[in-house]
Amino acid sequence: MIATTNGHANGSLNEATTRDPFNNNCYGTMVDRKYKLVSLPVLDVNDFNERIIRGYEEGYGEKELPADLSLARSLVPAGTASLRDFSNISPEIPEYIADNCTGCMDCVTECPDTAILGKVLSETEWNEKMSTIPEADREMYGKQWSRTKKYFDAGKKRLGDGGMFQIIIDPSKCKGCAECVTVCDDDALKMIAKTDEVMLNSRKSHRYFKNIGPSNEKYISDNLLIDMMLKEQTMIYTGGAGSCAGCGEGTALRMLCAATALKHNDDWGIIAATGCNTVYTSTYPYNPYLVPWSNSLFENAPTYAIGVRMRWDQMGWDKKPLWCIGGDGAMFDIGFQALSRMFASGMNVKVFVLDTQVYSNTGGQASTSTYTGQNTKMSVHGKSVDGKQERRKEIAQIAIMHPRTYVAQTTCAHINHFYKSVLGAMEFDGPAIVVCYTTCQPEHGVADNMAGEQARLAVDTRAFPLLIYDPRAGDTIKKRLSLQGNPNVKGDWFVNPKTNKEVTFIDFARSEGRFAKHFDKDGNPSETLAFANKDRLENWHLLQELAGLR
Amino acid sequence: MIYRSFSRSALWTTIAAREAKRTYMSPAKATFEFSAGALAGALEFLKRTRWELRSLRRAHVYADCLRIFDINGDYFEVRGIGFADSDVVPLLQAVNAAFDPASVHEPPVSTPKEFDLGRRYTWAHDRVM
Repeated sequence: MIATTNGHANGSLNEATTRDPFNNNCYGTMVDRKYKLVSLPVLDVNDFNERIIRGYEEGYGEKELPADLSLARSLVPAGTASLRDFSNISPEIPEYIADNCTGCMDCVTECPDTAILGKVLSETEWNEKMSTIPEADREMYGKQWSRTKKYFDAGKKRLGDGGMFQIIIDPSKCKGCAECVTVCDDDALKMIAKTDEVMLNSRKSHRYFKNIGPSNEKYISDNLLIDMMLKEQTMIYTGGAGSCAGCGEGTALRMLCAATALKHNDDWGIIAATGCNTVYTSTYPYNPYLVPWSNSLFENAPTYAIGVRMRWDQMGWDKKPLWCIGGDGAMFDIGFQALSRMFASGMNVKVFVLDTQVYSNTGGQASTSTYTGQNTKMSVHGKSVDGKQERRKEIAQIAIMHPRTYVAQTTCAHINHFYKSVLGAMEFDGPAIVVCYTTCQPEHGVADNMAGEQARLAVDTRAFPLLIYDPRAGDTIKKRLSLQGNPNVKGDWFVNPKTNKEVTFIDFARSEGRFAKHFDKDGNPSETLAFANKDRLENWHLLQELAGLR
Repeated sequence: MIYRSFSRSALWTTIAAREAKRTYMSPAKATFEFSAGALAGALEFLKRTRWELRSLRRAHVYADCLRIFDINGDYFEVRGIGFADSDVVPLLQAVNAAFDPASVHEPPVSTPKEFDLGRRYTWAHDRVM
């Protein structure tokens, strides 16, 4: 460990300051943590956080900080995004209505910014801890705890002491997307304006939440995957990443990190292909990851991962998972050769694809993952050509045809399917790929709160079928391929019980701005969209056939 | 491992129950009494009262009323117009609802008829490269 060069007179950024009086911007998600130090002669974490992060947080970084070695070396310490303050980017923040909460954890799971957190304590512990809260704030903070059936009633029956459950919003990380409000089925969250009083109470409450200690693990069932985010060890992706409000990729990365950390703590790593994901997770000097992460180019992430895997195996780190992350541009198109080569190697590398069906980072150009008819910057809808004319490439089917490769296609809206896919990929001794549908609000043309709903609709309309192909499950494709999780798995389209009508790809297209030009003024779809509809049904039929359902 | 699961119809029932509870529990933020020839007034009402709601999420159309919900479950209401009326189409268009013109006027299996409202322009949609 090298010595700190922190000599700032205003105290550490990881402690309360005049700018951050309740120390909301600090390390640790459920409880406070010290900086995550490294034993490298080329990176002084304390200096980086106290001098460089401070420069950016206080607004003089780009103008006044001299060029430094960490920038030249492309090094950013782990978790520096924890120190980033997003309090002022949104006019609204969620409010928790404790009486309505059931403790389902959907809001905590689906937040793309690690800005909504859960905690459970025994009632006895809770009473003790509440006595440490300043009297003037005790009632305000106490009201934010709920007695749910899941933790209180069941806890009382099982452990003799009910579990008190709290949801808290971290005001320094919330971007106001309202995804949490949308996924809440119990009216336990609503958006309110950020008045001075609201923000003061929110900042205080978040501080008390961290001071009160970790969850009591007796109330967290290891078998109930949705509860994994009650554990600090799963908070590998901190808030403070620079993704758009409501970004579907943010949620996917958080859930991937949580599931991997549940089994391996922070003893694993990531190789990322250039794209949106590398931009918002390494916008200098902010890094939301608490595990080693590296990015080289757009096209070579799987090759890079092969090299890292080989070295790790030489070092005896063969049990340490290595995720290779990229968008559809990196994995379907530019890095496809490298991806195929990695599959053929049989090496223990796990690939996670953030499939937004477009090059989101560079402004929305078509990729081979783009749907037929989609209006993108390289398939602009005009008089002679109405959007993309090719069919979508199906990377999952291509991956299935590689030798002994685990393949899954999933979404964050299908939480159990997602976790099952990721955990299955990690358990599999060999190459694996998990393709995840991720809503990109600006390129899909949907509201900030719509990531989950649109992902669910993509599955319901056969735009993006769920699948898991596990080579261990049998000696035929039929035995290995599961389409479980899709609605009406043996039929053509899902039939909405509320309308008794089939829900088709055209219905999905109708709900997103990227297909808006395919509908005339009376709302009738274009011929291209009718073809896209046929394409999606043919793809679904192929999957049914492979799975022995047709 | 226990994977929390529920049937899709149960999910729809949950959503319907929740929204029924919302509509029962809170009065409309604003209302408009629709009558024949009042389309322009109704459109003006939607435009004028829009600021009272947050990001719009869903439209419910009954036989005799239209409700526009935001993400918090708050809503405003146009009374005296239902799914069978031709004038419901421009009202749904005014809030950017996603609906099929071929079936918008058909009576639903269960009321209300629901339409999503989350569609937006894509980034730089008007830019030609």
